[in-house]
Amino acid sequence: MTGEIPSRAGGEVLLAATGLVKSLGGKRVVDGIDLTCRAGEVVGLLGPNGAGKTTTLRMCYGFLRPDAGQIHIAGHDLASDGDRARRTLGVCTQDDTFDSEFTVRGNLVQTGRYYRPRQADLSARIDALIERFGLGPYANQKPETLSGGFKRRLMIARAVVHQPRVVFLDEPTTGLDPQARVAVWELINGLRVDGLAIVLTTHYMDEAERLSDRLQILQAGRVRAAGLSKAVLGDVVGEHVVLLSAQAPQAAQVVQWLKTRGAKPAQILADWHVALDAPGLAAFVAAFPELRYEVRPPTLDDLFLALSHENAP
Amino acid sequence: MNPYLPAVAWQSRAVLGRHLRVHLRNWYTATLPPVCEPLIMLLAFGVGLGGQIGALSWQGAQVDYLHYLAPGILAYTAFMSSFFQSLFAAYIRMHFQKSWEGQLTTQVRLEHVVWGEALWSATLATTYAVLVCVVLVGFGIAGQLTLHWAWLPAAIPLLFLAALAFSAIGLFFTAILPSIDHMSLPFFLVIMPIGFASSTYFPLPDVPALMAVAQLNPLHHLAEGLRALLLTGTLNWHLPAAAGLCLLLLAVLIPLDMRLLRKRVFGDA
Repeated sequence: MTGEIPSRAGGEVLLAATGLVKSLGGKRVVDGIDLTCRAGEVVGLLGPNGAGKTTTLRMCYGFLRPDAGQIHIAGHDLASDGDRARRTLGVCTQDDTFDSEFTVRGNLVQTGRYYRPRQADLSARIDALIERFGLGPYANQKPETLSGGFKRRLMIARAVVHQPRVVFLDEPTTGLDPQARVAVWELINGLRVDGLAIVLTTHYMDEAERLSDRLQILQAGRVRAAGLSKAVLGDVVGEHVVLLSAQAPQAAQVVQWLKTRGAKPAQILADWHVALDAPGLAAFVAAFPELRYEVRPPTLDDLFLALSHENAP
Repeated sequence: MNPYLPAVAWQSRAVLGRHLRVHLRNWYTATLPPVCEPLIMLLAFGVGLGGQIGALSWQGAQVDYLHYLAPGILAYTAFMSSFFQSLFAAYIRMHFQKSWEGQLTTQVRLEHVVWGEALWSATLATTYAVLVCVVLVGFGIAGQLTLHWAWLPAAIPLLFLAALAFSAIGLFFTAILPSIDHMSLPFFLVIMPIGFASSTYFPLPDVPALMAVAQLNPLHHLAEGLRALLLTGTLNWHLPAAAGLCLLLLAVLIPLDMRLLRKRVFGDA
């Protein structure tokens, strides 16, 4: 399955990765993944732990060499024209990797020195980033004095100091409180508005839904589904999710009935969850007219649940 | 890819520049140990212990211990400083500070990080050796030491080459040590044997097996070569031998370091 799905963004394709394969420690962790991202687009890369998200991202930004496949960044082949490809991409890793020897401003200056051609008027660029990312009060402090949210802001500011065209954000809000997450979302959205192509991995379903123009769901190193959020959910999960209390008098009978019809009910704490298409829901309603239950649209949590069931032995 | 070409790449200089900037911000505290250590060693061992043991026999001539020790300290400084910097400090940067990972998400690649670390270790060690030279000159002005001073600047390029080779050894251990708790192992297994089997602090006993092993030790040749240069003003075979062994070490270890560090940093063979 390819990642070439129509999206809201109609810009130039800035990331084009095809047929990526990578084995680590003798295990194939990425197995033929395609990934594209256009200017002004955010692509959310999702999947359970071990799905191959970070490995895919690491290959795309040149940290790992793919065993097979090609990666083009803004038209430059990462393998044969690595310097120019790397000049046009920026990276915010999962862990904070800023230089603890330098201040916030010093980190941005030092990162700017790792790029050629050098960013024109680097000092003015850094001033603008410090203001835009709200780092002004901390510009002369060491990064370790910052809160988690401001550390992530610094990481993202550092990723764009050289004005890249493609940015990779690996779980940029993990561990942040809700207020800090929203602030980071706004910054990411601002980068999208600036026309950057952004590839994002996250475990937060609401984050993926809010930020991403397109989703690409990875499972066991392959693309399981790709496209707009609703389409992906419909394809993998179903159109409706029924929640039934496991304490309901008829619960066992209902679950048995669902199983005989090919549905896969899953118990999470005190509730049974089951995804159904429209005819399936109609049949369910007709079969249990007296039953009390809740019907809601599927979420990415349901998607992960569905994927984990697919993986189950 | 040629593993030696990145030595002259701008990315390696950018990494070197980063380390230099960090060092210069703390230059006053960072400079104190390399000045104090040779000063203390020369006073305690050269003057103090030297006064007790008198002269040593070196190449058929009688040399007082302070004069014997001075070139040895110069060689030992290049060795110890570069090894420490490329092992301990580089390990901290790689493993704890994650500054390597930050660099590797830019246009800097692993080969540049390796060369940047090696060049920085060699630069710092050579700077420290220059500070030792200044201390030696101070002893000369005080009338304690008489060397062929004109040869002192000529020793600097060789000290840089030796420090670069020693830093390649340090990076090898950075690549293979499982954790910082194992950091003492290379000090006991490498630093001390190389340091003691080297004629830096005392002449090697005339034991054939030991002398044979010492022929493979670049520090031994460096110390003996510098001693001949500074005490007698003659260039003997030890200096070309030191240079040759150092080049051999670089030729073998730099590609090996890159391979091992690639596996360590990326989890990728």
